[in-house]
Amino acid sequence: MPRYDRWIDGEAGPVVRPYALTGGRTDPAGDTVLDLIAVIVTSGPAPGRAELAKLSPEHRKLLRLCREPATVADVAADIALPLGVVRVLLADLIQQDKITVLPRRTPRPQASTDLDLLKEVLDGLRSL
Amino acid sequence: MGSARSDGAAEDSQFTPVKIVIAGGFGVGKTTMVSAISEIRPLRTEESLTQVSVGVDDLTGVGGKTTTTVAMDFGRISMGARLVLYLFGTPGQDRFWFMWDDLSYGALGAVVLADTRRLGDCFPSVDYFERRQLPFIVAVNVFDGAPHYEAEDVRIALDLDPSVPAMLCDARQRASVKEILITLVQHVLAGGPIGDQPASHVPPR
Repeated sequence: MPRYDRWIDGEAGPVVRPYALTGGRTDPAGDTVLDLIAVIVTSGPAPGRAELAKLSPEHRKLLRLCREPATVADVAADIALPLGVVRVLLADLIQQDKITVLPRRTPRPQASTDLDLLKEVLDGLRSL
Repeated sequence: MGSARSDGAAEDSQFTPVKIVIAGGFGVGKTTMVSAISEIRPLRTEESLTQVSVGVDDLTGVGGKTTTTVAMDFGRISMGARLVLYLFGTPGQDRFWFMWDDLSYGALGAVVLADTRRLGDCFPSVDYFERRQLPFIVAVNVFDGAPHYEAEDVRIALDLDPSVPAMLCDARQRASVKEILITLVQHVLAGGPIGDQPASHVPPR
């Protein structure tokens, strides 16, 4: 059996390899590796038609998904692309000031240090 | 059941996501647990392995395949207008360890789900969170027909620190899952070990 046959099955994944969408890049621009629950939102003036035309369909879709604050995980699930690819594409948009990362409520990412936040979560769970 | 996003939009930057990791061996009921309490059907995001991770991933037997994907399921629970709790299930296969740092980064704590028929499967999770000093509890998912043990037996078998809560649960039952999450947050509040991580949006790579 020719070995190439092995690629043409479900296991081989999508026909367009995910990183083709990033031009083969696997590291986000500016080393911006976004946390899964980092909150992102579109920023700056809404890009005009000409500017949008320069973006890839995936970039444009990400901009649409980030019109309201959303987490990286939600956006990745919505666009159905691997997280690594989404991070590269989002970093492009951050570099172009089209998307910003909103500041965390806690100064440290370790949520377990924020007692008020923990109490809020506890109350929230109890009232479920 | 408004989406987290439209809720968050009202307060803009006050949209506060927090994260809990659900870990444990393959088939122990992580996704079931997330489904039992999430307000949405668990969402799925995938990560594809590139050569970056090939060094740590055993691709033996995968032939000429150079990329593979790993799925992460997560659920969401909105609490009031701005607080949203995300539950992330870890990939069940050991070879996706590199994802764990990403999942655990900034997490409030973790639940290690255990199955008494395959208790050994959760050793790596317990080890991982101990090493990482992320507060965690152990929840024993009681499967029909599985030998019954008390939570205390499981604690001894896993050689858990006396401060780490261990409890029995039914991952299919919302009330049971709720109780697990409450126990975890109480444990974190009681001063479980606190990891020392830098303040930034950037998870370690």
